[in-house]
Amino acid sequence: MNYFLRKLSFYAVALWAALTLNFAIPRLLPGNPVDILLAKLQQRGETVTPETRKAYALLLGGDTDDPLWIQYWDYLRNLAKGDLGVSVSYYPAKVSDVILTSLPWTVVLVGVATVIAAVLGVALGAIVGWKPGTWLDSLVPSTTLLAAVPYFWLALILVYLLARVLGWFPLQGGYDVVLTPGWNGEFIASAIQYGFLPALTIVLASIGGWLLGMRNMMVSTLSEDYILTAEAKGLSPRKILRSYASRNAVLPSVAGFAISLGFVVSGSVITEQVFSYPGIGGRLLGAVTNNDYALMQGVFLFITLAVLGANLLVDLLYGIIDPRTRARA
Amino acid sequence: MSPKNGLRRRAAAALAGAAVLGLALTGCSGASGGSGSSDTLVVYTGQAGDYQINFNPFSPTKIGGMGTIFESLFFFNKAEVRDPEPLLGTEQAWNEDGTVLSVTLREGVTWTDGEAFTADDVVFTFDLLKATPAINGGGYDGTAAAVDDTHVTLTFATPMFTKAPDLLSTPIVPEHLWKDVDPTADVVEDPVGTGAFTLKEFKPQAYTLEANPDYWGGEPKVKEVRYLSLSGNQAGADAIAAGTIDWQTGPIPDIQNTHENFPNYDAYTQWQNQMVLGTCSNADLGCTGPQTDPAVRKALYYAMDRDQLNSLAFMDTANDVSPVFTLTPSQDQFVSAAIEEPVAPQTAQADTASQILEGAGWAKGSDGIYEKDGERLSLTIEVVTGWTDYITAVDTIASQAKEAGIEIDAAQSSWNEWTDKRLKGEFELAIDSLWQGPTADPYYLYNYFFVSTATTEVGESAGNNYARFDNADVDAALAALSSLPLDDVAARQPYFDTIQAAVWEDMPYVPIMTGGTTSVWNTAEFTGWPSDEDLYAFPAVWSAWDCAEILKHLEPQG
Repeated sequence: MNYFLRKLSFYAVALWAALTLNFAIPRLLPGNPVDILLAKLQQRGETVTPETRKAYALLLGGDTDDPLWIQYWDYLRNLAKGDLGVSVSYYPAKVSDVILTSLPWTVVLVGVATVIAAVLGVALGAIVGWKPGTWLDSLVPSTTLLAAVPYFWLALILVYLLARVLGWFPLQGGYDVVLTPGWNGEFIASAIQYGFLPALTIVLASIGGWLLGMRNMMVSTLSEDYILTAEAKGLSPRKILRSYASRNAVLPSVAGFAISLGFVVSGSVITEQVFSYPGIGGRLLGAVTNNDYALMQGVFLFITLAVLGANLLVDLLYGIIDPRTRARA
Repeated sequence: MSPKNGLRRRAAAALAGAAVLGLALTGCSGASGGSGSSDTLVVYTGQAGDYQINFNPFSPTKIGGMGTIFESLFFFNKAEVRDPEPLLGTEQAWNEDGTVLSVTLREGVTWTDGEAFTADDVVFTFDLLKATPAINGGGYDGTAAAVDDTHVTLTFATPMFTKAPDLLSTPIVPEHLWKDVDPTADVVEDPVGTGAFTLKEFKPQAYTLEANPDYWGGEPKVKEVRYLSLSGNQAGADAIAAGTIDWQTGPIPDIQNTHENFPNYDAYTQWQNQMVLGTCSNADLGCTGPQTDPAVRKALYYAMDRDQLNSLAFMDTANDVSPVFTLTPSQDQFVSAAIEEPVAPQTAQADTASQILEGAGWAKGSDGIYEKDGERLSLTIEVVTGWTDYITAVDTIASQAKEAGIEIDAAQSSWNEWTDKRLKGEFELAIDSLWQGPTADPYYLYNYFFVSTATTEVGESAGNNYARFDNADVDAALAALSSLPLDDVAARQPYFDTIQAAVWEDMPYVPIMTGGTTSVWNTAEFTGWPSDEDLYAFPAVWSAWDCAEILKHLEPQG
């Protein structure tokens, strides 16, 4: 069978399995959305009586009476139509609307930060690996230390130092709320100003992994015969570094990068909590605490699709970049 | 759920460690600045995550507009026993037997789109509730009729005295716009009300209300109110420290010294919610465990050292509690003369606890823990993960109870799971808090938590009465109270006496203390906040009707 067809059919099965789990997991949570909603209302000082419970059970719909397999069938059918249902915690907003207002924030912030971390990490790793044993090697323990520190702790320290003490960056939020979101310079400048600190924490926390991986690959690549050959030919060290050593050493990092792009959507829960940043992570947290099944499924679906999509892309790209992966086709 | 800081706790559940660190980090700097233009009041209501637009006053997921945009007929102050404050209504009276409520409406009120407010709007609103069960949260089933342009009557089949605060707090909507609105599904992006504020703009991170220049009560002095979304009360405390918000209701570090740490701000605490150890108390309905013995519940009540609890767990913001759940001191007038001890003892009374247990047949075992028929007096308290003040309280109670020969363990679970266990009766003790009704009157609390219709057998989801208290005398007294006017003190007291005697005797909810609700607000830029001298509303930013009253009272300072 053709390599690409085989990959695609594998991903179709993986997608089905993921969708089924996505349906099952929220339903294993204890509690029900109406009780949580009532508890929330009561927190806001509203009167909660038996009549209130009845009214809201009616309002949010009693679809839980259907047998599970009918719910499952409806779920798959609606998914095929692109209908993710209605969010209970933001009733009557559609899940797709709730997700779409949050998604760009996460994709841009975490996406940009991931790209910066990967590019910087790989570039530094290549340089450090090129000259192992020099003072540059001290970059390895110092960046892995940053990666090893729990992320929220690193983020809180930076918030405290850079936002509270020095006042260089805003403490929380995604933009200055006086401005109107849109494609205008003022708003974009504000969004960049507000996003800088969260992005910095993500870069600092993840750069160590890239650097270490790339450096080690560099070191082992440098002992390959073709590097020796290149040196013997009298090529300039710069050219060897760029065209021979780095290009071969970067392959695992490319794979890692694509996979980490897949986790962009899910990797923002703590960042958003620490910085009160708008985005999908906060929505997911809210959905879980409110037993909002539809919203949870919607967010999980996006995460699943992102991870599967990124993996598929890597697999397909690898087939092109590296002929060895196609060998048994 | 304690409104006091449930929201903070929820955020903390996801990020407990981070929250604690945040407290430590942000607690030690005193920098504070202005919050933009001083005509604009910036508040944080506890909204966690982005806003999704919804100004439908009947929707459980609305984000605001109650009291500020949409007004009710009267405002009921639950912080103090007072006459209702007239809003769209000016006078209200029941007929003799409590079946007809007559309301006189304010003249000269207009909707913010220029149309006149009339009795038809009121009738339309009540008819809408009755015709749409999904939004009829108060169970309204009367008949509304307009007598003339400024008089409305609500007629019921049975006496409805006790429903008056809920009925008169119904937000009134304009008939000329709402006749085409689906009240269950419309999010009312462009709300038109009669209130002191109108919606200026909405963004997922914040929405802004602006003063209504044509308001019948005069244009409010605060020109704009901005509601921010942050990630939780911890972020709110950070924003107070940074001076970016003017008001939040929730704890901040070192709350006793708020004014010293942040000279622009002050903290103010009021007490509305009795913290309790809820017990699965009723063996007849399927509860099991030592706590089904009333003597055990009483012994726990006496074993607590409340002074120590207050300082260790509640930052000294909690207050005395009455064993019969009248708020003290504001509702002391309702306490039965037969209750010898109207306020729970502040220190541990180990001897009394022992006497009660021994009187009920318990005997101390070799390890110092009581036993009866081979059963050790060992109990488990359910507490929500991340609710740090309750977790500390449970640990403190456990060590205090041990002195009195009671063994207590804590079991932490997620909020959802905890709620589920509590409602289904699959617990022994749960730390929780009770809440008040729509106005300052203990009837509502008794009716929520002690009426047998609000409970069911273990295994099924109970209503508010999750302790599964079931007492025919109390049910009868509550029924009798519902057909008496709220101001008929003499006729009501005998029924309160009956209820309180049973509540004291059985103690299905073991009182801990009355939890404080603390607001931190900017007193340098705004004056007119509620105070002990003038407690015109319950000071909590998340309590919509109260918040609207406060916004109307505030005055910006220069």
